[in-house]
Amino acid sequence: MSNAAAVDLLEHEEMEEGPVSSSISRSWYHYVLIAAALLFTAISLGFVGTIFWSSWPTWIHHGVTLLTGKGWTSPNGPFGGLAMITGTLETSLIALVIAVIIGLGTSISIVFFIPRRFRTIVATLVELLAAIPSVVYGLWGLLVIAPWMQTTVNPWLNSWPFAKEIFGNSGQEFGTSLLLASIVLGIMILPTFVAISREVIAVVPQDLMEASLSLGATRWQMIREVVLPTAKIGLFGATFLALARATGETVAVALVAGSVANVQFHLLYPGTSIAAWIATEFGESQGNEVSALMALGVILMVLNVCLALISRSLVSRQRRALARV
Amino acid sequence: MSDLLDLEEPKDTGHEMRDEIRKTSERSRARRQATSRVMVILCSLALLIAAVPLVLLMYQLFRQGASQVDWTFFTKLPTTPTLLSPNATGGISNDIIGTIALTIYASILAIPVGVLVGVYLAETESKLATTLRVVSQTMAGAPSILMGLFAFSLIVHDLNVGFSSIAGSFALAVLMLPVIIISTEIAVRNVPLTLREAGLALGAKPHKVSLRIVLPTALTGIVTGVILAISRAVGETAPVLLVIGGGYTNSWKPFDPVSAMPLAIYENAKSEWPAQRAQVWGIALVLVIFVFILSLTARIWASRKQQVRN
Repeated sequence: MSNAAAVDLLEHEEMEEGPVSSSISRSWYHYVLIAAALLFTAISLGFVGTIFWSSWPTWIHHGVTLLTGKGWTSPNGPFGGLAMITGTLETSLIALVIAVIIGLGTSISIVFFIPRRFRTIVATLVELLAAIPSVVYGLWGLLVIAPWMQTTVNPWLNSWPFAKEIFGNSGQEFGTSLLLASIVLGIMILPTFVAISREVIAVVPQDLMEASLSLGATRWQMIREVVLPTAKIGLFGATFLALARATGETVAVALVAGSVANVQFHLLYPGTSIAAWIATEFGESQGNEVSALMALGVILMVLNVCLALISRSLVSRQRRALARV
Repeated sequence: MSDLLDLEEPKDTGHEMRDEIRKTSERSRARRQATSRVMVILCSLALLIAAVPLVLLMYQLFRQGASQVDWTFFTKLPTTPTLLSPNATGGISNDIIGTIALTIYASILAIPVGVLVGVYLAETESKLATTLRVVSQTMAGAPSILMGLFAFSLIVHDLNVGFSSIAGSFALAVLMLPVIIISTEIAVRNVPLTLREAGLALGAKPHKVSLRIVLPTALTGIVTGVILAISRAVGETAPVLLVIGGGYTNSWKPFDPVSAMPLAIYENAKSEWPAQRAQVWGIALVLVIFVFILSLTARIWASRKQQVRN
C-alpha cells in the first residue's frame, strides 16, 4: 500500500464517528450520496465475490492441496500452493526483520538526533522514496544487485562454515534468489515503515520525555524507557502495515526471486511468492489454471485482511492509550 | 565514652557511604552516558544504512537513465532488436500514451464515486457508513494484484470485453477509490464547524451548506488526496499486467489493448538484449520523475491548505 494512504489511515483513526452536520436527508443530494455509497458497496462485494467465485472450481476439485500441496503443473494441476505460501512468508518475514531493525534506528535518528531544520527535508525524502513504484525497485534488484550478489555476496556467504547447509549452494546462474527478494523487499518497505513509525514516535508527549530527562536519564534511557514503551503499540501497527505491504508485493518479487515453485528453505536458491506467482503464470494460463491462480488470490486476500485488521486494531489502541496520557 | 564512640562510628561510615555512593553514581553515569553514546551512534548508523541503497538506487536511475532519454525516446514506437541491429530499441511513445490514457480513464471512473462516498462517510451516520469506512481502509492496503484479478474476471472474462485499456483503468480505479474516499472524508471533516453553522444560521438548507460551503472549503484536501491516488496508480504494474494486453500501437481508444510504462519496465528488464535492458532505465527515470512531480504537487497543495487555515 502506498505510504501516503498509510499515513492517512493513522489520521483517519482519529475521527470520531457521527455526522458533522445536521441531517441532509430528503434532498436529491442525499440520494446521490447514498447511490455512490451503494455503488461502492457493490464494487467491494464484487471485488471479493468475483475473485472467490472464479476460484470456486479449484477449491471444489483440489481443496486443501492448494494450501498443502507441492508442485504446480499447468494447465490441469496438481496445483499445490505450499511453495508460494512458504515463499511469501520467508521473504516477507526476513524483509520485515531488515526493515524494522534499520527502520526503528532511522526513525529515532530522524526524530531525536537530526538537526531540526533538516527534519522536514528528510521526512519529505522518505515519503518520496515510499512513492517510487515497486517495479523500479525490482528493476534495480535484477540489474544491479543480482549480479553483485552473484559475484561478491553469495561466494562470501558460502565461504562460512555450514553456510552451504543453511543457505544452499551459491551456484545459481543469475543471482536471483529468495535472499535477494527478501533484501529488495526490505529496502522497499523501509520507507513505508519509517514514514509511519516516525509519526508514531513524534507524537509521544513532550512532558513524558522531559520528566524522564529531569530525573537524570540519558537520551538513550529516555528513548528506551519512555518513548519506545509509549509508542509500542503504534510501532507494532506500523510493523504489520509493512508486513502487509511485503506479502502483497508482486512485480519486484516476480523479477528478483527467480520464479521457481519449489518449497525452499535454502535462501540462496530461487523461489516465488503468492503474488509473484500469479503475475508470472497468469500470462500463459488457461482454463483450470486461471481458476487456480484466482484461488491463490483468495489465500493472499485472507492473509492480507488478517494483517490489516490486526494493524488497524493496534493503531487505534495506541490512539486511545495516548488520549488517556 | 562508649556512647560517643557509638555516635562517631555511624558518622564515619556515613561519610564512607556517601563517597561510595558518589563514586558508584559517577561510574553509573559514565556507563549510562557511554551506552547512550553507543546507541546514538548505532541509530545514526541505521540512518546511514537506510540511506545507502536508496541513494545508490537514485544514482543508478539518473546515471543510466539520463543517457537513454532523447526526442525519439518519446516519439517513436518500440522496435525489437535483431542480430543485425542489436541496438534498435525505438522509443516508448505507446507506453507513455498508454499510461496517460489508463490514468485519465481510471480518474474519470474513480474520482466522482470516491469523492461522493467520502462526503457520504463524513456527512451521514449509519451502519453502512461505519462498515464502508472499515472496508475502504482494508481495501487501501489490499495487494494490487488482486485488483488485476478482479478486473480480469469481471471485465475481460465475464463481460467479455477482452484485454483492453478500459479493463486496466477499471483495476486502477478500484485501487484509487479507497485512497480518494479516505482523504475526502478527512478533508470534509476538517472543515471548521463554525462555517457550517454560519451557513445554517443564514437559513441555507443543509445540502446547500454541504455543496456551497463545505465542499469548496474542503477542495484543497480533496485534490491532494486525488493527486496522491493518481501518483499511486501511475506506477502500479501488477493490476494492469493481467488485463491491458500490452499493445504495440499508439492508441487512446478504451477498448484497444495498450501498454504502460511500468509494464514495459517489467517486461524489458528480463530482455536478453543489452540495449533493451539499458533502455528500461530511461523508462524508469521518466516514470519516477512523473511520480515525484505528482507527489510533490500533492505536498505543496497540502501545505497551501495549512497556510490558508493559519
